Amino acid sequence: MADFTAAVYQNEFLADGGTDVQAIVSVTCANAGKAGQGGSGDAGEIIIIDTSGSMGVETMEGAKAAAIAALNEIVDGTWFSVISGNGAAFLAYPNVRSGPGMVRMDDRTRGEGARAINALSAAGGTVISTWLDLAGTLFASVPEVTQRHVLLLTDGENNEPASVLDAAIRRATNYYQADCRGAGTDWKVSEIRRIAQALLGTVDIIPEPAQMEAQFQEIMRASMSRGVSDAQLRVWAPQGAQVVFVRQVLPTVEDLTARRTAVNDLTGAYPTGAWSDETRDYHVSVRLPAKALGQEQLAARVQIAIGDDVKAQGLVKAKWSSDDNLTARIDSQVAHYTGQTELAAVIQEGLAAKSAGNEELATTKLGRAVQLAAETGNDEATAKLRKVVDVQDAEAGTVRLKKAVEKADEMALDTASTKTTRVRK
Amino acid sequence: MTCSSCGADLAADALFCEACGAKVGSGQAPTALTVPVGATDEDSPISTPTAVRAPVEVSAPQARTCAECGGTVGADGYCESCGLKAASERDHFREAPTAWVGGVCDRGIVHTRNEDAMALWADDAAPRRAVLVVCDGVSSSKDSDVASLAGARAAREVLRPAMPQGMGTAESADAAATKVLTSAAAAANTAVVAHTDPASESPASCTFVALTIDGNLLRHANIGDSRAYWFADGGAGVQLTVDDSMAQMLMAGGTARAEAEAAPQAHAITKWLGRDSPDIVPVVGSLVVDGPGWAMACSDGLWNYASEPSAIRAQMDAAGTTDPGALALALVEFAKAAGGHDNITVALARVEP
Repeated sequence: MADFTAAVYQNEFLADGGTDVQAIVSVTCANAGKAGQGGSGDAGEIIIIDTSGSMGVETMEGAKAAAIAALNEIVDGTWFSVISGNGAAFLAYPNVRSGPGMVRMDDRTRGEGARAINALSAAGGTVISTWLDLAGTLFASVPEVTQRHVLLLTDGENNEPASVLDAAIRRATNYYQADCRGAGTDWKVSEIRRIAQALLGTVDIIPEPAQMEAQFQEIMRASMSRGVSDAQLRVWAPQGAQVVFVRQVLPTVEDLTARRTAVNDLTGAYPTGAWSDETRDYHVSVRLPAKALGQEQLAARVQIAIGDDVKAQGLVKAKWSSDDNLTARIDSQVAHYTGQTELAAVIQEGLAAKSAGNEELATTKLGRAVQLAAETGNDEATAKLRKVVDVQDAEAGTVRLKKAVEKADEMALDTASTKTTRVRK
Repeated sequence: MTCSSCGADLAADALFCEACGAKVGSGQAPTALTVPVGATDEDSPISTPTAVRAPVEVSAPQARTCAECGGTVGADGYCESCGLKAASERDHFREAPTAWVGGVCDRGIVHTRNEDAMALWADDAAPRRAVLVVCDGVSSSKDSDVASLAGARAAREVLRPAMPQGMGTAESADAAATKVLTSAAAAANTAVVAHTDPASESPASCTFVALTIDGNLLRHANIGDSRAYWFADGGAGVQLTVDDSMAQMLMAGGTARAEAEAAPQAHAITKWLGRDSPDIVPVVGSLVVDGPGWAMACSDGLWNYASEPSAIRAQMDAAGTTDPGALALALVEFAKAAGGHDNITVALARVEP
């Protein structure tokens, strides 16, 4: 059985009249085991491959090899199916017309799945909402499956109104998780990121077909290591208090504030999906009515729960003090992740301004990003930023936009914008 | 792991119990207190106190109610509804051994721990007797909260039996009582040292004041700047003890009280209990009262805001109660309202000879 622990980093001291408490709650899971083996239900995997006409021969062959490599990572006994997606979604494997749309993995089904993948060919458009809906239907056809994960590969822009895609995302939200990958540079990062964020998954670019196989293997291995099928972050805040925001800040920045569901009058639950042996950090901000100097109170109980079973709890406190030395300090973890959250925002805003032709704004935003990446020690962001801008002074945040930028480098910066690093020791 | 004091569940790495505030793993839970025998007992020339060294009983924890909103206090020590931290048993406790004796020991506002301690006892049989002991832990040293409580309780146990009468003369009775009060201070010191980590570089230390009431006879003993007062009904009140403090030294040299108590280092005490104390012999005294009034022992958390006896008297009159516990609470609230910069302890006995 998985073990969870929680640690809280904060400055609990508030000045006279102070109301806002910020804390980083670091949640660690150990002994998670393997997907589908925790006794709370089976695991299911659906691989969605874009088979639109835009997939060139090389990309298509790379995608097929990658999908087969992913099949090889799926643990025997796991339910799976393969969807071929273009202008509509088709069940490529298993070959059934009614009943359960998934089969358990074994040597025979793995071989059949691979043959079905090899038989795919590219034609037609890209209507991702139909792919998402078919995945939902397939999962629903096997009630034993309680841990649901999708690996989605696309290469092009979605040919449907955003509202149609959003409606499909909403239908999938809180039902299954999805890791999304874009092949080449003809897809839109913001579009695919919307899917991945809502479905508690990752988004990344695979610029070259040759890199697909390794990426798919890695994604499927990670999914198979998630032995905790579903956990919730719960935040209790006292009567009269307001939870200003709840964000995941490690390994990526994900704002969970709007995803609250009420557990009771004072407690909200936020989805976190499946867990492997890993640590995730959460940034919680609570606004309290100010109390008298010397008073101490709890600002939040931050818990990780499986079902109604609370596995670990961190206490966020508030103490009002007249000692400026205590109240003026900002916790280093809070400061670090505040910087990383801003970093994600300015990278996305800077790239959006650049593609809209507003070079001045893009320069300012990306300059700030270079500065924040240096301050917070995010070397990956620094490396990716340097492919898009010429850095004149990292400390001051002065940069010049590069004249010629590879589209793939810009997209890689965009997809990696939400990735964070820990506080440097 | 569970708390050895109150039985609440503890986190694996807990240093203090979230429910009652007791230290974890120290074997120093309040229930485990035993009273050390005073080392000087055996060479007593007059008589030896025959203290009944009963274990100190601590009331069992129960589901507590939030003092702020009336909600339930959770297992983590905070209100389930408004989040207020429930005062631990150590942060705020009251004793009322009988209807005419009561005291309050409180963390105050500014300090994060209550290092004051109090131990009270009373017997209603005539002549009515009571013991008030207050110890004020020194906050710059470690574990002073645990040590001061152990010290106060140890002294109370020594003072619980009736004072020996010696050879029957007043001088002899005084000498015998001095002996007992001195061994009470020694027992407190032994308990403080016993609750000090031997490796500690800042050993626990505390003040000591004991006040015994035996019919119309008050006896007092003190080390440091915790005080005993007598407030005869209708009178201005009188401070019975003399502080062992820098301020007192200045006053002895002719400086006015207000000026002396505002001087730098005024609060530095010149005597204390603890491993590093050079002198644990208290200054003792007695007073025979001829009418009703209040006997009080308190820490500097109170008298910082009302040093002159008349200033305390004014607050007692303003409280408008004759219940000792309620009166003590009113004085504690007065000190908190005035800033509560230190822990506050007030113990009162209504004397009606």
